[in-house]
Amino acid sequence: MRRFHRQVLFLFLLLLSGKCLAAATLEALPEFLRPDPFGGIVTPDQGGVKLRSSLYDARHRVVLRGWRGGYVSFQLVVKSTVPGAYSLEVSLDDPAHKIQTDLFREWFHFTDSDKHYYPDALVPVHSPYGSHLPEPDNKIDQQTAQAFWVDVYIPTDAKPGVLSGKARLKFGGKSVAVPVQLTVLDRAIPAEDVVTVDHNSYGISFLSEQYGTAYHNYSGNWFESDQLFRLIHDYHQIFYEHRGIYHQLGYGHSGKVGPEFAPVLAGSGRNKHIADWTLFDRHYGPLFDGTAFASSRRGPRPIPFVYLPINPEWPASYELWGEPGYEAEFVNVLSEMESHFREKGWTHTNFEVFFNHKKRYMGFPWDGDEVRFPKDINYFLEYGRLLKKAVPADSPVHFVMRADVSWDMEQEFKLLKGVVTVWCCSGGILSFYRDAPKTLGDRGDVVWYYGGPPSVTENAAAITEYPLRAWLWGVNGYVHWLTVAPGNDPWFHFDGGGTALVYSGDRFGLTAPIPSIRLKIQRNCLQDLAVLDSFKTQQSLDSLRSEAAHRFNKSALDDWWNPRPTLADIPSDQWQGSAIDAAMEHTNKGLAHPGVSAWYNVHEYALQLAGGAK
Amino acid sequence: MRTVYLLALLMTLTSLAPAQDNPDALLPKRLELESLARVGSVMVDGDVCQKIVTPLAKEYMFKVDPRDEYLAGDNYDVDDVSFNITKKTLIRLSHLTSFPSDVNLWMPIDGHPGKIQIVVRNKNEMSQFWHWGDIYQDMIPPMETVLKTGQRVTVMDRPGWVSVLAPVYNSLGDIVGLIEAVSRTKMDPHDNVK
Repeated sequence: MRRFHRQVLFLFLLLLSGKCLAAATLEALPEFLRPDPFGGIVTPDQGGVKLRSSLYDARHRVVLRGWRGGYVSFQLVVKSTVPGAYSLEVSLDDPAHKIQTDLFREWFHFTDSDKHYYPDALVPVHSPYGSHLPEPDNKIDQQTAQAFWVDVYIPTDAKPGVLSGKARLKFGGKSVAVPVQLTVLDRAIPAEDVVTVDHNSYGISFLSEQYGTAYHNYSGNWFESDQLFRLIHDYHQIFYEHRGIYHQLGYGHSGKVGPEFAPVLAGSGRNKHIADWTLFDRHYGPLFDGTAFASSRRGPRPIPFVYLPINPEWPASYELWGEPGYEAEFVNVLSEMESHFREKGWTHTNFEVFFNHKKRYMGFPWDGDEVRFPKDINYFLEYGRLLKKAVPADSPVHFVMRADVSWDMEQEFKLLKGVVTVWCCSGGILSFYRDAPKTLGDRGDVVWYYGGPPSVTENAAAITEYPLRAWLWGVNGYVHWLTVAPGNDPWFHFDGGGTALVYSGDRFGLTAPIPSIRLKIQRNCLQDLAVLDSFKTQQSLDSLRSEAAHRFNKSALDDWWNPRPTLADIPSDQWQGSAIDAAMEHTNKGLAHPGVSAWYNVHEYALQLAGGAK
Repeated sequence: MRTVYLLALLMTLTSLAPAQDNPDALLPKRLELESLARVGSVMVDGDVCQKIVTPLAKEYMFKVDPRDEYLAGDNYDVDDVSFNITKKTLIRLSHLTSFPSDVNLWMPIDGHPGKIQIVVRNKNEMSQFWHWGDIYQDMIPPMETVLKTGQRVTVMDRPGWVSVLAPVYNSLGDIVGLIEAVSRTKMDPHDNVK
């Protein structure tokens, strides 16, 4: 009887192991097909299922082609209908040890809006990575698939050629492998981007909220700790590593300045002066000399732009506005700042005098952000005069006035010529003024337009539309207005990520931000744009843009602009928001959301130009 | 003697309690703010205050358009001369305290009883009542008291905060608004830096 039991048990175990082997699979997916935790593809990406085969060759190898000086990405999905422990390893046989592979576990966020799971946050893990399906911390009932993002970094000094490798899954004592072939292309991605993508944020409170472990465990004043400044630098670094820049505004709508964002002032009137640079220099010094990025694959480089703390209440007290004392305070302190920056050699960053306040927040009587009432332009002219007085004309330090404009942009372009030189424009309204990018560019101004990140509930290629539009328009960049606010519970009750492209690593024991799938896709898009643009020495930029637009969504360049509406010829304080929406009808209709394969098609075009297409 | 003893005991106990949660810790600030508010009632010019919010802003303040969620905010405008005169006065009033304080201006809205708006805020971003970002909000009873009676009212509803509300008069002797002189036990250098 006992022997019979043993035989039954043996047979049961045999069956179970066979079932494990049969059930556990490893699948590779292109970057634009985001998996769900049940073995499928998330609904918004299902239109691109044909892309699935694009990743494989006839021998069912994962085929990657990448330029030097950049990344190539794909996804791996571990699937099993039975729970169990597993390990996943990704390796490439690179005798020169140049190629670097980064592995990330994809977090599946439950979005409250549609009650579905979407992968977005990428948790860095080391290969080989061992875990359990269902993934314990993601807590998904009936989870049968765990996804991983794979970034393959090809340095500029990598040798062109073909490398082999594999992804190997071990599950239930058995293993399956997916062969990988990487072709390193001869061309190098230009180090400079043709589109600056900016990631904006406000203040610093979000850090203590999102990094509760570090904040609560710190015994002193965390806001003056090395840990805080390292964390700030990590935010800059994560965006820099993804070919973007980062802005952090350091003051509120009534002029309150966070102590980390400004030197300490003392005195008043003609005696107002800078008393202490300590916190400011700890915050910004490594960013202005580039040493904050010493460990970056892109190399150390000073940040190209930064908000200054300047606002109507700093450095001059608004109590003195319009009086000689206001001018004295403003000019004295700015002159000291110029001297300090010059002595430190901080001459590669554009220091932005930027007014973010709106009168609806009752701090000041004019709109610094998005002027609607033309009378407010006079304040910009006055600050332009003060800035000119404070900074020597031949200073090597780059102080610039930046304005974020919408309603009244056309007037401001004219009236603030030579005063404002960095323009951050409403994309919708800029679309009325097709000549503006060239007019402003010809006089040396920088032009960006702004919007917000797409939600994870849009398709995976949605984020590529923004940098593409900037390039097609011929403007210098695009600004995501908020990128560090994933909501109160991004892990289990997600708001979709319309204000986040990075997440706090606190949950995973990291005092650093972690990236998202959308940020990775955006980076890869920026790589492609830099490559595409580099072909303008061989053919006209217009033809490159036309073909890219066509491949993206079968559009023509004209489809990306709106005709000048009649409202453009009436004073902006008489415009209504609903009329602006109506005036954008042409682009709204012509540029329906791109398909999932939109950017894949543009990427293939870039590969084709570079001679690396399949 | 017994009173002095009890007072001393009370002060000792007060000093032992966490300042943040102890209303008595705010007593010195409260006294200074009450003094400030009394001066403020005299110094703030109600006629000037009445010119701050423009007719356009008032016209749109309560309008709702489902196609335009920012209709009220986008049409919010002020007369900058009146605003600046008033704001400068409020800033100077705040210098009367020996600690950081703000003096905000609040005004009722014609035709909308039960509603009130903050009209001028200041650099420490402090208010015990303002709902961040709201152009107008519901009148709270202490404000109603000030507007109806002209009495100063001290409010310490939020732990660690003290506000003194005092009336603002125009040349006709009407109460047209109120000031909120406000401070807190512990300043937060990062609050509302956004």
